[in-house]
Amino acid sequence: MASTQTAPKPPARPLSPHLGIYRFTLTMAMSIVHRITGVGLYLGVMMLTWFLLAASLDASAFAVFSGFIQSILGRLILLGFTWALFHHLLGGIRHFIWDAGYGLDAPEREWLAQGTLIGGVVLTLIVWAIGYAIR
Amino acid sequence: MTQSGKSLRTAAAGARYLGSARLGAQEAWLMRVTSAALVPLSIGFVWLSLSLLNKDYNGVRAELGHPLPAILIALFALVACFHMHLGMRSVILDYVHGRAREWALIASACYAGGLALACVYAVLRIGFV
Repeated sequence: MASTQTAPKPPARPLSPHLGIYRFTLTMAMSIVHRITGVGLYLGVMMLTWFLLAASLDASAFAVFSGFIQSILGRLILLGFTWALFHHLLGGIRHFIWDAGYGLDAPEREWLAQGTLIGGVVLTLIVWAIGYAIR
Repeated sequence: MTQSGKSLRTAAAGARYLGSARLGAQEAWLMRVTSAALVPLSIGFVWLSLSLLNKDYNGVRAELGHPLPAILIALFALVACFHMHLGMRSVILDYVHGRAREWALIASACYAGGLALACVYAVLRIGFV
């Protein structure tokens, strides 16, 4: 092959639409937050494991966990876990509605996105209000 | 597709490009099955967590020593760990490439499997030790 010849261009392949193609929308943000809350819960399950192992070992191991979860950092993690759990739970139900073939049109999917967002926050506040009330 | 007796098109032509006939849909299906199971299980888990909030070491052990809370929390941990294993798999497959992907998949499977086993071990230990 002559050295002056340029390398052949790779053929233009189809790309899936992404953040550089679509403008920012609520449903797009909800999709990203669903994944982020999922990863958060993935890491947060460590807290549940720690709690169960501590309770299964002895009183001093349980006291270490108890001290951590009652600290400001522990409470913030627990608050984040509660919100992520409810947000992800409602997001999952939203996906079931879509799987069944409903709620895919423009107004419905916006309501579902707003409902998930508000519902996750409201359920978190309710559970934490119950938690502080019975404490 | 179902009218292959009448249509000129073969059954294979009707099925082609509709997706995998083997294991392609299994992961997506398992994701949905575990999601469905986790709806009541998470609500039960939150309920149980609230009931444990006031309890000290002995109170927590007494509560988790009962069959129903023990089975609920163990089942929640098992299904949640399997669900999050599948979820992290798709996250890794989306963002991690090359040899790092293989290590990430192995590490994630060990993490999820390890947590599941640790939770079940702990619940059994509370009940029987």
